[in-house]
Amino acid sequence: MPKATFIVQYTEFHGLIVTQRYPTSLSLNEKILNLIFLEHQKDKKEELIYSEIEGMKIGSYSSALYPGWMVCTVLSAEEDFDHLQRDLAGSGRLILALIAMDPESFSLEEILEKGSILKDLTEEQKLAEVFLTPSSALLLERMQTEGIEKAAKLSIWLRNQVQNDDVDLREAMAPLMESGIVAVELLGKTSEMVFLVKDIFGYREPPVDSILKIKETIPSIAEKYIEFVTEFFSPASPDKGYNPTLPVDDPNSPILEDREKIARILAERIHYRILTSLREQPLSIADISLKTSFPESVVRKLLYSLEAEKIAIRFEEEDLWGLLTNPRIESFLPEYLLPVISKKLSEKEISSDVARRHLELLIQTWGVAK
Amino acid sequence: MIRGVFVLGEQGNMIYSKEYAKGDSKANMVEFLVNLTHFLKTIDLEDKTEYMNVNISRIFYSKKDPFTFMFVADKADDANQIEEKMGELVDSFMREYANLALANQSLDGFDAKVDEIAVTMVKVAILGFAGVGKTTTLHLLRGETLPLVHDPTIGVSIKKLPEEISNANIVLWDLAGQSRFSILWAKMIANAQVVIIVTDSTLENVLRSKKLVSLVKDEVPDAKVIGIANKQDLPTALTPERVGQILSIPTYELVAIDISYRDRLIQIIRRAILEGKAEAKAA
Ligand SMILES: Nc1nc2c(ncn2[C@@H]2O[C@H](COP(=O)(O)OP(=O)(O)OP(=O)(O)O)[C@@H](O)[C@H]2O)c(=O)[nH]1
Ligand SMILES: [Mg+2]
Repeated sequence: MPKATFIVQYTEFHGLIVTQRYPTSLSLNEKILNLIFLEHQKDKKEELIYSEIEGMKIGSYSSALYPGWMVCTVLSAEEDFDHLQRDLAGSGRLILALIAMDPESFSLEEILEKGSILKDLTEEQKLAEVFLTPSSALLLERMQTEGIEKAAKLSIWLRNQVQNDDVDLREAMAPLMESGIVAVELLGKTSEMVFLVKDIFGYREPPVDSILKIKETIPSIAEKYIEFVTEFFSPASPDKGYNPTLPVDDPNSPILEDREKIARILAERIHYRILTSLREQPLSIADISLKTSFPESVVRKLLYSLEAEKIAIRFEEEDLWGLLTNPRIESFLPEYLLPVISKKLSEKEISSDVARRHLELLIQTWGVAK
Repeated sequence: MIRGVFVLGEQGNMIYSKEYAKGDSKANMVEFLVNLTHFLKTIDLEDKTEYMNVNISRIFYSKKDPFTFMFVADKADDANQIEEKMGELVDSFMREYANLALANQSLDGFDAKVDEIAVTMVKVAILGFAGVGKTTTLHLLRGETLPLVHDPTIGVSIKKLPEEISNANIVLWDLAGQSRFSILWAKMIANAQVVIIVTDSTLENVLRSKKLVSLVKDEVPDAKVIGIANKQDLPTALTPERVGQILSIPTYELVAIDISYRDRLIQIIRRAILEGKAEAKAA
């Protein structure tokens, strides 16, 4: 566990102010705050920065979404920043999102004490994180058509796409590598190859578990609940309902858009916590607040936004909230790549070694008999 | 700090508005205020001041038929203090300007009254390259022991001026001059009403400081800018006139390590603040 956490806000009138700290005994001085702030101003694209100041190891997070704010974590001597990066960025993002929602009710102490904020990402969150970084999502799209590509070529392509020479392929690739979507290997002496080994798919599932549970616990609302869910997934004609498995070719199709939306909601930790708390069964705002350790005011706002996304639904009379649709993200074997690989091979774009390696990777990931 | 003052009439028409600092986008804010007035018609505030949070700001409002008064302030501000000021503003307006407003006449003198009430904080930024004497100047102003060695400022050091100097709350931003901090300058002078550019009066330093003058003119075009020709006790010092010519801003002499300059310097800053206000009004 990190030794301490503190939150700093910069404003044009008050300068740098520590708005909250935990534990409260943590002592800080102007110099520390200024040096952290300086680092963030230097490299605006970097959100998470490591500094060693006056013997303190500090990881600090800032985001263009919340200008002026920094969430800083003091690491203990044995902790390794590189290993904690993901978690620090995730908890920083979560804390800032909570503050933005309701600065008054935000308590760092409560979140840190009860919230076990540095939970490891679940498998589905790791997959979804791809969509938090636009350049990672772009890369995935590119890999879906290319299958295999030289890292150097990919880097040039990405730079062209985003019209920015500073974009770092490594950084954009990180979420893809971490979730096992791509593998990067040095083949031969010089060329680093990127292989797509998993594809991902965000969709909405009917909240089956929650419905089953409610039939046992609060049968009185079960019927209404089933009605809401049915209305969404298979309404009476002529409405079409929601069917994520329909093939879509149109890149602007609402289903494709929805996939990304689902992934983004899963990746946003603040939304994720609310929706996972509801997977089991419908709950009251007070219960959700207890489970997530978010203040009720924040829970309420998040529920409203999930309601607008057709993820949460409210049972007015009982004052309970449940899932209307259960967002999921899953990985699958990108079978569609096989013809791509063989075409690249026959056109001598890749060597047989590279093609063989790609197949090996696919087999390793997905097993021989699926 | 109070970022804006608005007085609206019965129909949500703007009778008076003044903005001291940029906050949320102005167009949004005005639309919001007009909607708020319409909404307030339907409830009775009973002469109380209430507030609500909007984005980064906090909007204080009070009603005295047929007028609605609003302050846009920061969430960080002390709500009681702002409510007190609201009371002052409402009283003064109802006493001396309400009839003029009802008769659609100009509200002569109200603007100065608003300044008197609402300007609670003046930001003065001290800019200049490393070692020219910015921190020393700050200590001189605050009547503190003067540092005789150069202990470089890290980032920025923000200090208030003692009340005896001005009843407005003057906050001095003593910026770090070392080049590694130069990326902070543009950001940190934002919303300063006065910027003091300190030079050590050597030719080399004054020439370099011309860059600072353009930075200030670009970033805070409305700020009052003055130059300081410091270290006049050293033989290498150019005269303040010469420094002023090179920088093209009004420039004053100083020996920051000599307390006998303190009163003069205080006068200069007071005047800069007043002139800054006057210029803002004329614009
Ligand atoms: N001779 C002389 N020395 C001065 C005068 N004013 C300041 N100094 C000296 O100049 C040195 C630097 O002063 P500071 O005020 O720390 O400089 P600064 O501009 O704040 O420097 P940074 O914080 O690095 O930007 C100190 O040793 C002061 O004693 C002056 O008028 N005459
Ligand atoms: Mg200094």
